[in-house]
Amino acid sequence: MYYYVVNPAAGRGQVKNLQDKLRTRLTQLGIGGEWVKTTGSGDATKLTRAAVAAGHTTVVAVGGDDTVNEVINGIDRDNVAIGIIPIGSTNRVATQLGIVQWQQACETLAARRLTPYSLIAAGQKFFLSTLTLGFETDLDKQVDTDLTGLRARIGQFQQSLGAARNYGTLHCKIDVDGQYRLECDLFTLSIANQKFLNPLADNRLIVSLSDRPGQTLKLGQMVWNTLRNRAQGTLGDEHATTRFLANRVVIETDPPTGIMVDGKVTSRTPIAIRLTDRRVRFITEKVVADFKNAVASARG
Amino acid sequence: MARRTHEDALGVTGAETVIGTGVIVRGNLESESDIVIDGTLEGQIKTAGNVTLGINAIVKADIQGANITIAGSLKGNINAEGETVIRETGHVEGDIRCLGLSIASGGVFSGRSIMEAPPRLDPDATIDNVEPPQPEPTKPSPRKPSRGNKE
Repeated sequence: MYYYVVNPAAGRGQVKNLQDKLRTRLTQLGIGGEWVKTTGSGDATKLTRAAVAAGHTTVVAVGGDDTVNEVINGIDRDNVAIGIIPIGSTNRVATQLGIVQWQQACETLAARRLTPYSLIAAGQKFFLSTLTLGFETDLDKQVDTDLTGLRARIGQFQQSLGAARNYGTLHCKIDVDGQYRLECDLFTLSIANQKFLNPLADNRLIVSLSDRPGQTLKLGQMVWNTLRNRAQGTLGDEHATTRFLANRVVIETDPPTGIMVDGKVTSRTPIAIRLTDRRVRFITEKVVADFKNAVASARG
Repeated sequence: MARRTHEDALGVTGAETVIGTGVIVRGNLESESDIVIDGTLEGQIKTAGNVTLGINAIVKADIQGANITIAGSLKGNINAEGETVIRETGHVEGDIRCLGLSIASGGVFSGRSIMEAPPRLDPDATIDNVEPPQPEPTKPSPRKPSRGNKE
């Protein structure tokens, strides 16, 4: 039986309006199950842990990236599958797995295509999607990136560009797999599981670093793309000037700075980030065959 | 030469390693795919793919790879399974072992070059134990559109 962990505050309370429709559709598809609501931060982890201990093998996060992350951190067994119904303000994880609407999410849950992913550990926390530090993390403090509408977007861009102009660089030292050490001044850094970006690739950390663009036009492009990626829930490292693969990195910055995991600041540098042996099976829309076809058609 | 697999053709086995300008690396850089360096590196570089040192690269390392292209500065030995190319801005101090070497006008090379001959046919092979080449299947020639018989 499916176990639905619902965050009633997700998407500015959007769940309230959708709940009846959701339950009806899921029952029609034959995957109606047990519903529980979270009441605060960290609750989804506790509820998931209890559900897994009680023998549930499918836990569905109904909410945004925060809820998904909390559910991930509550799973400690290999036989449990995670599903997502994306109704949060930020749904990067779901979007990357090919799930963009709640209706489609219901169909995906019923189809139950499973893809295993290795989790990434940042300190004591586990995550699947992306970790960032530098300007992109700082942007959240300066600008409300959740606003929608054309006027709000233009305002966001102007504010963000101003923040980018005033943002210095971070001196950063990174130890990579204990094999080499990298030192640079960086503007922004992101880490993701390569397989999460590309289902055909191996599970490995892909680390991307960007310099501060010297020209205002390039800085503007970078800020625009960052905002666009956030709004669309996609991941992009098109401005990366350095990129490498690793299994474990230890990051130190001067000055120490906050680290954002899936849109939430969770810890500070120095920090060790590693790919773990812990595998979680996600119910995904994407299938490898579709991806191969997409690659083939993109290459003409 | 490094063998390219089906996954390589799709560009998915591993992203290229890129070290940008202003980045300093100390240690051993090992990869399964191509490496591009435009920063500073001290240590070793080893890959099954190609290695490219950009115009801003300052590298003190021995390099082992498939094909090596140098447009920056290198102090160290090169061991290439394929070809080594020193570009106009390239500067190499060290020995080069490879199948083919090309130095553009303006490129500097100070060291020994050891050219390894490409694999040759087995001299003991006789006409009896060599399979005759199979004739290629002939394609039907495309039919020219007829000009007559207008309707």
